[in-house]
Amino acid sequence: MAEEKVDVLIIGSGHSGGMAAKILTAKGINCLMLNAGPIADVHKDTEVKPAYTLPYRNFKRPGQLEHVFQSNEFNANTWVDEKEVPYTYDPQKPYNWVRVRLFGGRSLFWSRQSFRLSDYEFKSKSHDGYGDDWPISLADLGPYYARVEAIFRVTGHADGLPQYPDGNFVVDDTPWSGCMQRFRDAGKKMGVPVCKARSARGVNGLASSVNLLLPDAFETGKLKAVPNVVVRELSVDKNTGLINEVHFVDRISHREMSIKARVVVLAAGTLESTRLLLNSKLANSSGVLGHYLTDQIYGAGINCSVPEARNGKSNPALMGGGGLIPRFRNIESKHPKFLRGYALNIFSNAGEMDPRSFAAYGDELQEKLESYHGSGFYAGIMGEVLPRYENQVSIDKEVVDAWNIPALRIDTKYTDNEFEMARDAVDTSIAIAEAAGFEVLAKNYLPNPPGYSIHELGTCRMGDDPKTSVLNKWNQSHDIKNLFVVDASSFVSGGWQNPTMTILALSMRASEHLAEEMRKGNV
Amino acid sequence: MQRRDFVKAMIAATATAKAAAGQQTAPPVVQKLPPAAPKAPGPVPWSRGLLDVKPLPMTPLVPDAVAETNTHFFTDTQMATLRRLGEIFMPPGKGSLKGYPSAIEAAAPEFLDFLIGSSPADRKQMYQSGLDRLETEAKEKFGISFAHASAAQADQLIRPWLRAWMNEHPPTEEHALFINIAHMDFRTATINSQAWADAARAAGKPAPDVDLYWYPVDPDLRDADSRKAAARRGTAVN
Repeated sequence: MAEEKVDVLIIGSGHSGGMAAKILTAKGINCLMLNAGPIADVHKDTEVKPAYTLPYRNFKRPGQLEHVFQSNEFNANTWVDEKEVPYTYDPQKPYNWVRVRLFGGRSLFWSRQSFRLSDYEFKSKSHDGYGDDWPISLADLGPYYARVEAIFRVTGHADGLPQYPDGNFVVDDTPWSGCMQRFRDAGKKMGVPVCKARSARGVNGLASSVNLLLPDAFETGKLKAVPNVVVRELSVDKNTGLINEVHFVDRISHREMSIKARVVVLAAGTLESTRLLLNSKLANSSGVLGHYLTDQIYGAGINCSVPEARNGKSNPALMGGGGLIPRFRNIESKHPKFLRGYALNIFSNAGEMDPRSFAAYGDELQEKLESYHGSGFYAGIMGEVLPRYENQVSIDKEVVDAWNIPALRIDTKYTDNEFEMARDAVDTSIAIAEAAGFEVLAKNYLPNPPGYSIHELGTCRMGDDPKTSVLNKWNQSHDIKNLFVVDASSFVSGGWQNPTMTILALSMRASEHLAEEMRKGNV
Repeated sequence: MQRRDFVKAMIAATATAKAAAGQQTAPPVVQKLPPAAPKAPGPVPWSRGLLDVKPLPMTPLVPDAVAETNTHFFTDTQMATLRRLGEIFMPPGKGSLKGYPSAIEAAAPEFLDFLIGSSPADRKQMYQSGLDRLETEAKEKFGISFAHASAAQADQLIRPWLRAWMNEHPPTEEHALFINIAHMDFRTATINSQAWADAARAAGKPAPDVDLYWYPVDPDLRDADSRKAAARRGTAVN
């Protein structure tokens, strides 16, 4: 027989849901986790194969996962099938919604770049007058960042830059390779800092909810989990105004079921959490639910070659390693063409060159590839997208998913601010690379479509004013006191930083607050 | 305990409990279960013994190892143009690639006929118009089909459209897009062929593009109608 009522129901099992489970169960609170997809078993579900044994020789199956540029024929079955869970948009404004529903969500596959937001992001309006400040600052989140960095074993180097806050690092004191040092020196002359990147080392090659967060939660005996259930709707007790029931559908059998809960923690990922709230017609007295969708621009950058590494001369002292240029625009001065700023991922490669870097074919191309082998150097943008009210999501009443749940319609686009930022990033990269003596082989000024970064942020933003925000500064709904949304939908602005550390820190902070409120009997 | 004995025991226990409670009720109506179906003689379960079967001592082949792809999408002329384009883009390996197959030897043109024939309309149209343009220009400029163009003649038609470009951002001009995408498609179809992997092994090198393949994880059991319905709805993307 089912339990009468769950203490905390957590929807989603990725970084944000995993952290909520870890914190709440450690406080002795019983939790039930629902996840829309299955549990992946690498031993059962995978096999090492050469591409020639695949039906499409590692071309993607035509028409499949058109918006998931990251997919290929090897990993196609790990992404959400766009036909099974469709979404819609204006063809003139495409959006790449990249989703994983396996247990652990996208925490299974993230790039592990691990950054803190700075007060140039938390207090962005105070700095440049655009948008809104967050209701919290770096000082509020700093202690949580430090704990998250310890759990995820973040490597990094303290650089003392306010726009690139230092953290609780496994210290990276590895020397720079020769080409990286040359790029650093060239950047320094132009006032562009080149720092060590910061990355979650994790444990045994994995930095996921499934190995760093959920095991602790299960160990307490306070966490139960149900995979393969797709939440359809949350419903509210009309007398109390609180959520009292969650309705879901069994992914495999399509059986409809319901469960009662004292508190709901929504951690389904930015757009799925917002889709669920919109479908439930809840938590939107402000009218801003679904608005201020933002992400980060990726795709603009350059491919270079380090001449001294060609013709068999590449070696570990000269080539290898990477770095990061943190935001440097609009810190001390004001750029005439865009607000905010971008970072650049830079790395060198002692391996094969990308054949697309050469306008050649046949024997000529092969000679180029052999001559240039081991001399690659690359730079790519991670740029802030301004949060705008008009960039929004809503429910498309004409389209449903495989479980008859209404689909999301996404209405967003980049503007001149993002395009000018991308142009500046490429021109700056070229200037530094050429000053370092590198040959620029290819360049691209155009960002990939919105969504590509897999950093969808906002649509359920936090704030002090219930009239202009959905959540308070504790990730708690202004309207419904027993509803917490702990994923990146709470972001007020996104900055250039990979949001994972911020998601984890916010979820940790919100979950500790929730536990305390439950202890006091306030929730 | 046999099922019938279990039912009897349950009935007895119910009667005893009610008697002990001193309840004055009507005698219970015994719920009779239908008699168990007799066991009919029949074949042994089909899977009996399967767990003991050892894997067959065989290495499965991919069809390309023993058969040729039937082409059906491109016209004969387009196919001849495509084959010539493959010869130009990916000739037999030289130098460090000596012994590696050409696009033709890797059956890349026939594979691309299958791949493009299965692709969305815009990709089909790009290939068809691109091949047609090469054929038209070869006739106009040299008075011969592209399929019979020399390497130097073909180069005159291809080189003006070659670009250096970056991932996800191919050239935007229509014919440059075709030339550069077709070039990369030929490379992928050739390098990811069994012929190429065999050549690599013969040279003492690992096969290229070996990776972890994910099978469908716990696929759902929707019936065919649901799948079709979902697919129809999926076309509403855009």
